[in-house]
Amino acid sequence: MPTDNKRVRRPEVSQSPSVFACRPAAVLPAAGPRADGRRRDQVDVRPVFVRCGLVSQAKGSAYIEAGNSKLMCCVYGPRETDRKDETDMKCGRLITDMRFAPFSCPERGSWIQGSEEKDLSLMLQESLRPAVCLHRYPRSQVEVNVMVLENSGSVLSHAITCASLALADAGIEMYDLVLGCSIRQDGASYMVDPTYLEENGCSSGSEDNQGRLTVAFLPSLNQISGLQSDGEMAEETLTAGVRTCIEGCYKLYPVIQQALAKATRKAAPPPSES
Amino acid sequence: MEECGDTNITLREFGCEQSLLSRPDGSSSFMQGDTSVLAGVYGPAEVKVSKEIYDRATLEVVIQPKVGLSSVRERLQEQSVRETCEAALLASLHPRSSLTLVLQLLHDDGSLLSCYLNAACMALMDAGLPMSCLFCGVTCAVNAEGQIITDPSAAQEKESRALMTFAVESTEHRVIMSSTRGSFSVHELQQCIAVSQKASEKIFQFYRDSVRRRYSKIL
Amino acid sequence: MAAGFKTAEPLEYHRSFLKENCRPDGRELAEFRTTTLNIGSISTADGSALVKVGNTTVICGIKAELTNPTVEAPSKGYIVPNVDLPPLCSSRFRPGPPGEQAQAASQFIADVIESSDVIQTEDLCIERGKLCWVLYCDIMCLDYDGNLLDACIIALLAALKNTQLPEVTIKPEACTPEVNLEKRNGLLIHKHPVGTSFCVFDNSILIVDPTAEEEGLSSAHFTVVTDEGDRLCSVHKPGGTALSGEKLQECISRATARQREIQKLIDKVIQSVKAAE
Repeated sequence: MPTDNKRVRRPEVSQSPSVFACRPAAVLPAAGPRADGRRRDQVDVRPVFVRCGLVSQAKGSAYIEAGNSKLMCCVYGPRETDRKDETDMKCGRLITDMRFAPFSCPERGSWIQGSEEKDLSLMLQESLRPAVCLHRYPRSQVEVNVMVLENSGSVLSHAITCASLALADAGIEMYDLVLGCSIRQDGASYMVDPTYLEENGCSSGSEDNQGRLTVAFLPSLNQISGLQSDGEMAEETLTAGVRTCIEGCYKLYPVIQQALAKATRKAAPPPSES
Repeated sequence: MEECGDTNITLREFGCEQSLLSRPDGSSSFMQGDTSVLAGVYGPAEVKVSKEIYDRATLEVVIQPKVGLSSVRERLQEQSVRETCEAALLASLHPRSSLTLVLQLLHDDGSLLSCYLNAACMALMDAGLPMSCLFCGVTCAVNAEGQIITDPSAAQEKESRALMTFAVESTEHRVIMSSTRGSFSVHELQQCIAVSQKASEKIFQFYRDSVRRRYSKIL
Repeated sequence: MAAGFKTAEPLEYHRSFLKENCRPDGRELAEFRTTTLNIGSISTADGSALVKVGNTTVICGIKAELTNPTVEAPSKGYIVPNVDLPPLCSSRFRPGPPGEQAQAASQFIADVIESSDVIQTEDLCIERGKLCWVLYCDIMCLDYDGNLLDACIIALLAALKNTQLPEVTIKPEACTPEVNLEKRNGLLIHKHPVGTSFCVFDNSILIVDPTAEEEGLSSAHFTVVTDEGDRLCSVHKPGGTALSGEKLQECISRATARQREIQKLIDKVIQSVKAAE
């Protein structure tokens, strides 16, 4: 790796202490309740904590906490496009940037944006774009910055929810909110809103139908704006999975609505009765 | 020669040459003992639109190490030198233009930041840029016995428990920049400032002598 | 009307407040914004802290890794602090590699760690010449509203106090380290450096804990770092207008008072975290 001369010098090689840990790697149990007490095969999303408008400098911002997953999103714009050659006279541009803080994962990450972060940024952009009225912002760009402070699984789905909330908080015109939900299919059973371990842990069970699925959903239009799946799943399993994710999104919906209403009320208090 | 009591301030042998480079608008080399720095000033010239400031000139300072690429350490030094120059320069006389100061390290034997400052001031002077005052850099080291050594060499810096560099302006001898390393008491800080202010008189006298010598040849 | 005046003549707007010895946000000249601290909220880090100074929010996460010490210093570990100003925290920062301000802040924090002896790198050595810890202190700004350096130092200090390193034993026969992640020990914090930043308006008016707006309008910045023994660890003034001796003395006494307040705050938060466990 070339030395990074824009940061304080670090030793050339270093290893995470978990490499030398004496205990064996955790294996996902094939059946029974999940590590955090939630049930399998149930639309059992982690309770979320959501707040809007935390960042003073941003046009709109949101913070979401689901279990130990913590994400923050700030929206800037609409403003003049950075790259003049890409100015679109009819339609605005939506720019997304999703990053993991170096301390957010069990293994320390690099400051430099990796391919995973670039992929996630692109998926986030594709999931949000159908919901944003970009034709209302010609020749300008709207920037969505997501920072993962702690990764405890399902970061993409929470990033989608968080980003749409921040966009709404920024007053960017949208057709609908976008909610995200993901599942981990493990053989015949599935786990909704998986944790980091459930997402990445290898299963001891069957080899068939192993996969992950993330759905971005527009709740009031009842449309799907983003779908991302990897692994190997049978057709019926996949369609059932999508349905499960939609159900998960509906569970989140009232919490998100409430947070947005609260922020709006705070920003523009209703006229007093007296 | 470097030892110094409270009243008697000693500096290493200073050397300075101006206008030694033909391409920059102003240049200088500055030597403090074995520490040697080369400075070049370009400008006022056209400025990039993104860096334009509507009511004054944009000053950029680049510090080049002896070998290799510059690192974060140079960034902090660049920031200190830039803001010191900005305090002295009458940048509002050249609005919407760019000034670039390049400092090339030739040899480091202690008191580097002060040498950068001195070289910068001489180069700005050589470029004929309007300034409200001159400035000079003084480094003080406090050794284990609590003695203050002005203009320390690299070996003396290593032995010291605190190292302070100040930029002193020429009109009222006030401190415009301060950068420190190590921990020290308030009393030591005040002593070092007083010593630096005294030393600055010597350095300004050196400035005067070297400029006079230079123009005596021409005129 | 006031909003228009503020936009058109920001400096005059601020001056009109400073004349009355107060500031646009209602503070006195020597008054800090409310400082809040949250410790240990990131479970993936070995130590973490979130600091809010008014609107300015900074998070610091510490991750410890194992590495070999250098040949020149076989009994020393490493501390690698880095400050990041992501585009998330303010519209003034662009994506990409760290800009000048972030780089200068990283170096400043590294200098403060070295000068103040907050941690002695000898403590990070596990076996001389063979194995030592490297502490990656990643400091990230989440909301930039001025006074970055003060917030960074508080976040770093609180995160270091929160850091728990796993126990490492070296098997003499195999020569490989064995890590017990369940058994963890805290770090030995030798000093408690705390920074206090000032801004100078019109060559004479000194204000403490500037907001981003005040920083942009002022003619000089100035940061003093002191520890609990009233020793100065850094007097950082990168230029700008000159400061007289009396003003400097005033700054230092404000800084020592601030050091007491912050140390008390950190201790209080750590106590409450311990009580909750």
